[in-house]
Amino acid sequence: MIKNYFLIAWRQIAKNKIYAAINILGLVVGLSVYVFGSLLVDYEESHDTFYENSDRIFIAGTLFSATANIGVGETDGIYTAYAPLILAEVEEVEEVARTVKAEFLVSIEDDHYYQNIRFADPSLLKIFDFDYIEGDRRALDDPSGILLSQSAARKFFGDSKALGQVLLLDHEVSLHVTAVVADLPPNTHFNSSIIELMGARFEAVAPLAALNRANGYDLEGNWNNLSMGDITYMLLPADKTRDWLQTKLDGVFDAHFPEDAREFITGIKVRPLVEANTVLFDAVGLPIMNSIRILAFLVLIVAIANYTNLATAQSLGRSREIGLRKAMGAARWQLVVQFMVESLCITAISMLIALAVLEAVVPVYNTATGRGLVMDYGTILPWLFLTTIGVGLVAGAYPAYLITRVSPIDALSGSKGVKGNRFRSIMLGLQFSISIFMLAMVLVVYLQNQKIESASNIYPKSQIITLKRVGVDSIQASHETLRNELLTLPNIENVSYASQLPYEQSTSAFGAGIEEGDENSGFLMSQVFIDEYFLDTYDIPVLHGRGFSSEVAHDTLVSEVFAVNVIINELGTTKLGFATPGEAIGQVFYDFPDERQVRAYTIVGVWPDQNFQGFHNQIKPMIFMMQPDYLTRASVRVKGSAMGQALTDIESVWKRVIPNYPIQTEFLDDTFGQIFQIYSIMTILLGGFASIALSLSMIGLFGLSAFMAESRTKEIGIRKVMGASLPQIVNLLIFQFSKPAMWALLIAMPLAYLAAGQYLNFFAERISTTAGIVAGAGLLAMALAWAIVAVHAIKIARANPIRALRYE
Amino acid sequence: MLKLHNLSKMYRTDEVETVALDSVNIEINTGEFVAIMGPSGCGKSTLLNIIGMLDSPSSGQYIFRDEDISDYAESRRSHIRKKNIGFIFQSFNLIDELTVAENIELALLYHNLPGKERKERVNDVMDKIGIAHRAKHMPSQLSGGQQQRVAVARAVVGNQGLILADEPTGNLDSAHGQEVMEMLRVLNDEGSTIVMVTHSPAHADYARRTINLFDGRVVTENLRAVG
Repeated sequence: MIKNYFLIAWRQIAKNKIYAAINILGLVVGLSVYVFGSLLVDYEESHDTFYENSDRIFIAGTLFSATANIGVGETDGIYTAYAPLILAEVEEVEEVARTVKAEFLVSIEDDHYYQNIRFADPSLLKIFDFDYIEGDRRALDDPSGILLSQSAARKFFGDSKALGQVLLLDHEVSLHVTAVVADLPPNTHFNSSIIELMGARFEAVAPLAALNRANGYDLEGNWNNLSMGDITYMLLPADKTRDWLQTKLDGVFDAHFPEDAREFITGIKVRPLVEANTVLFDAVGLPIMNSIRILAFLVLIVAIANYTNLATAQSLGRSREIGLRKAMGAARWQLVVQFMVESLCITAISMLIALAVLEAVVPVYNTATGRGLVMDYGTILPWLFLTTIGVGLVAGAYPAYLITRVSPIDALSGSKGVKGNRFRSIMLGLQFSISIFMLAMVLVVYLQNQKIESASNIYPKSQIITLKRVGVDSIQASHETLRNELLTLPNIENVSYASQLPYEQSTSAFGAGIEEGDENSGFLMSQVFIDEYFLDTYDIPVLHGRGFSSEVAHDTLVSEVFAVNVIINELGTTKLGFATPGEAIGQVFYDFPDERQVRAYTIVGVWPDQNFQGFHNQIKPMIFMMQPDYLTRASVRVKGSAMGQALTDIESVWKRVIPNYPIQTEFLDDTFGQIFQIYSIMTILLGGFASIALSLSMIGLFGLSAFMAESRTKEIGIRKVMGASLPQIVNLLIFQFSKPAMWALLIAMPLAYLAAGQYLNFFAERISTTAGIVAGAGLLAMALAWAIVAVHAIKIARANPIRALRYE
Repeated sequence: MLKLHNLSKMYRTDEVETVALDSVNIEINTGEFVAIMGPSGCGKSTLLNIIGMLDSPSSGQYIFRDEDISDYAESRRSHIRKKNIGFIFQSFNLIDELTVAENIELALLYHNLPGKERKERVNDVMDKIGIAHRAKHMPSQLSGGQQQRVAVARAVVGNQGLILADEPTGNLDSAHGQEVMEMLRVLNDEGSTIVMVTHSPAHADYARRTINLFDGRVVTENLRAVG
């Protein structure tokens, strides 16, 4: 009997090849996307489990209030001042280790490299067990030690032994290699995508004491520096939980966190180590992991709806078979089993093909993204098996129910076909709702990205080459010479130094207010240090007042002088309470320092509100000040488009002026592009899912309309004999599919509109035409659907009606 | 009303060429009631389909109301067809999903008539044929004879001058068959031209003229005295 079920299932598949192909294709796509999406998310969410102590390691992040106006809700680290307090006050915590990233010029004799180094408390090596090739976990106990990854060691020393070799940081601080560890696998947060974006792969770890020698870093930590990827790790005893640590750290926060900063920072959030890899997705408010999960599941739903719909439609032609079987004595459950076996067979075949597809896709994905996804059948097999069974049962249930319901006489006479029109319409509507929703979201995300990109054109980013790390003392001494030498080059229009460049995401801000000493009237004022050429270099206009000049007293900030001239943006003047920006010229505002004298800031110029940081950031109250010691980046503005030539010229000037430091250049376009890439990934991701969902819907509609048109052949023949014209017949068939599509529009468009609003909330400058875009997506989906149905409709409508009538 | 001149129809497959109609010459005048008879496969239905402009001849002329339509494209034939010709089929060919009234209205649907006028004409014809009490029923709820009456009503509701009936009594018992034939006679008396294919000599007797086909040729034409 069971053999018979499979035999019939197989013959059905073999007999209706196109139908089976459409079904299998749909399920293959649906299952591939679903399985891949799940693998991908599980992979990202199960990092770092291979460390011996992984269950006992916790990290803590900082929560920001909405008024902090920094664009993120939390970050992955806490202030470095916490660690000593935690060690002192929460004695159960076994180890605490801070990490601080910093980039240095590393010199090995005459070879120079710019290298990101993670500076850490020595206990880091007690928390994490690395695979030591040379040295051991005491490597950081030596204040001049440094631990290297195997590939970093090879980069610096080739194949010779690294242990004991000496590296020089910024020509000053000497460190010697105390350990070499095997490169970390891809599935650790130390190599996570966002940290990697900041160039901080796990390559070199040195003690914080070395950072103290290099730049005076305060080993007690501080309350003013938070940088993504600078994580504090804690090792707990096995019996202590996340909640326990949360309570303890809340206590530390309440007791020690500076009062005046609590307006912007509301607390600490403890997370287990396993969340360290994805915390930054949460932080920036782009729920990428959940989006992938939901989208992948929606695609699977569309594929199942496809199958169900086609199977129901096709069962129209099998009512005679069912009638015969019933007449021969088949019980209803036996027929149901027969249909379920068929759908399970098709699902199983699809799953096998999907796995073959993934076997090919996963290595490509791993190579392209530096990930280490594995198809470990040992662990995923039960899940794959259950998914197959589940999808097969869900997809086959309704068709089985529907077709076996018909009474044998009706089924045999063929006079009463299987109905289920309403169900098919609902399924079709569901598919379309999902497709329209996704399509609308893709358009919204895409157009918002376009807006970000075009908004970034306020600055001449394609004409600017930036030089990084020019803040080292010995280079700063040559700023003037370098500028003058560069200006002698034919293609160089201007050269300027600044502490921060447009599109860079780090900010520095201080509390400011119009009333001296009245902190309640204060607000956060962002500051950027520039030189007198910066505004010209970036085409930033001065709306009122004047630009800077090094000739004018107080235009330059001097540390022991408590008055300085600033150029402020329009929003800054509004925040300070001036009715018009022009009124602010000549006026003064103050800061609220803890330890030194209050400084008076005199407004000498007003610049327009521009989104200096670009992307999703809101425009903040912001001032420019002149202070040569803080200038760490140079911007070279090039005339015309010969950027390559300009770069070569700049490099040769640099070699002449600053021979002992290698040059580090970047096109400002690329600086922008690196961050813009995150937004592009969103578009690609959504676009991929949406086009898959949409094409599945279209494949389904194609099959369905073929069956429907066929089943209405007789009716169409009669109508033609009655004089219906070709367009009238086509309209009739199209209308049949338009009704569910219209319902889908009604459901999907408001949802898409709301979801788009949620997404756009993330951005300060938003596209304003959401409603139009959503409507456009709906119309596009409708037009596609009509086109597909019309193909069949025209074919059927053109056929000679007497054929249909004679052999009905 | 219509005239077929040397009209032939060939069906071709890869290997065989079947001659369905071979140089047929027929003239049918307005107001006639013509029966077409002959054994299965003699070309009766093909002839009716060509007269009904559902099919086109392979060669020869088809002159309908002084217009040679042999080479007209489907859309143009369709236009002439819906104005002039009503059909009755052996298997009724009602649409299962539509009610009796809607099935009848179908014949007017493609004539650009206002909805109110369509309803009136449908009601008139249902009264006349005696199926008004069944207006809201579905075809599956009617007997064969009732279904064929609906089909007749549909054929005449458009006031087309020519009614083509393809074995209208073939699926009916004798009593219902008789009933339908009476209806056709009344329609003919009122001025409709009727061309009917039938196997039944008794029903052929209702017609004024009988055309006998054999292997695609007209073999005899019998004229009957007006009964």
